[in-house]
Amino acid sequence: MPETSSTNTAGAVEVGDGPVARSPIRPLPPVRLHAGWEVSGRRSEAALQLADLSPLAKVHVRTSPTSALASFLEVGFGRSARDEGGRLVVGAGPDSWTVIGRTGTASEIVASLQAAAGAEPASVIDTTHGRALVRLTGSDARRLLEKVCAIDFDDAVTPDGATFTSSVARVVTEVVRDDLDGLPSYLLACERSSGQYLFDSLLDAGNEFTVEIDGFPEKEI
Amino acid sequence: MILIPCPHCGDRNSSEFTYAGEVHSRPSPGDARQGPWRDYLYGKDNPAGWTEERWFHGSGCGKYLRAERHTVTNEIRATRPEVGAGASSRTRP
Repeated sequence: MPETSSTNTAGAVEVGDGPVARSPIRPLPPVRLHAGWEVSGRRSEAALQLADLSPLAKVHVRTSPTSALASFLEVGFGRSARDEGGRLVVGAGPDSWTVIGRTGTASEIVASLQAAAGAEPASVIDTTHGRALVRLTGSDARRLLEKVCAIDFDDAVTPDGATFTSSVARVVTEVVRDDLDGLPSYLLACERSSGQYLFDSLLDAGNEFTVEIDGFPEKEI
Repeated sequence: MILIPCPHCGDRNSSEFTYAGEVHSRPSPGDARQGPWRDYLYGKDNPAGWTEERWFHGSGCGKYLRAERHTVTNEIRATRPEVGAGASSRTRP
């Protein structure tokens, strides 16, 4: 969708003709439109940052681990990796995967995965609007997460690329370690309805580490 | 805190799981008499000792598993994935 809106610093977006998609997490001003989504244009220089990445395409896949689609995805349970198109393929469960791509590419991802599945039984669903996704980045990210999640975040147990589903602040959350420029970084995805709560819980837990909210990133994934 | 070794995810807090009952063999629905069917649905052995149970890992892999648990000490000596119908009921991770 073309960007038909302008932004003002008070946080209000003047919406043009097209519909606007909103994340479950309220964007901090200045608010702008990005591919039809209302996102925050805020920039933080803090050492520990939390950003809302909910507009990213999130496609959920379920199929047998021995199927052709599983071979196409290449990534096994508990691991994640980028494919040739720069999309992050997450081995979310023994027979389920999440593919995360740039904003607005969900239908493209669904089509390519359905083509790869062929006639074999597979479920490929666009969950972009049903899931919240946030990114926590900084050297203290691990200490923050240890306050709200019982998983061992040591490098030996959850290195870069590791992924698991567990309870984070009592919300069932898919966690992916996806380091950025050598800095520890974690993607956390949960049901849309719990998104603002998870975001606020992480901010609360990160208070002692002076976590700051960052806007929607230029490099999306 | 009780740690349950999920066969998929590893050791997890029992708060991530839902207890799904003792494992009983199901009588044939086609020709079971009322008594055995009632025992299958509602009967519990509830031993003070080792028992085989089903647990559902709702906050993790979303799979059912079988666990051998000692009901007095809460020791879990073995777990394995549930197989067959109903082994997985997850709709989302």
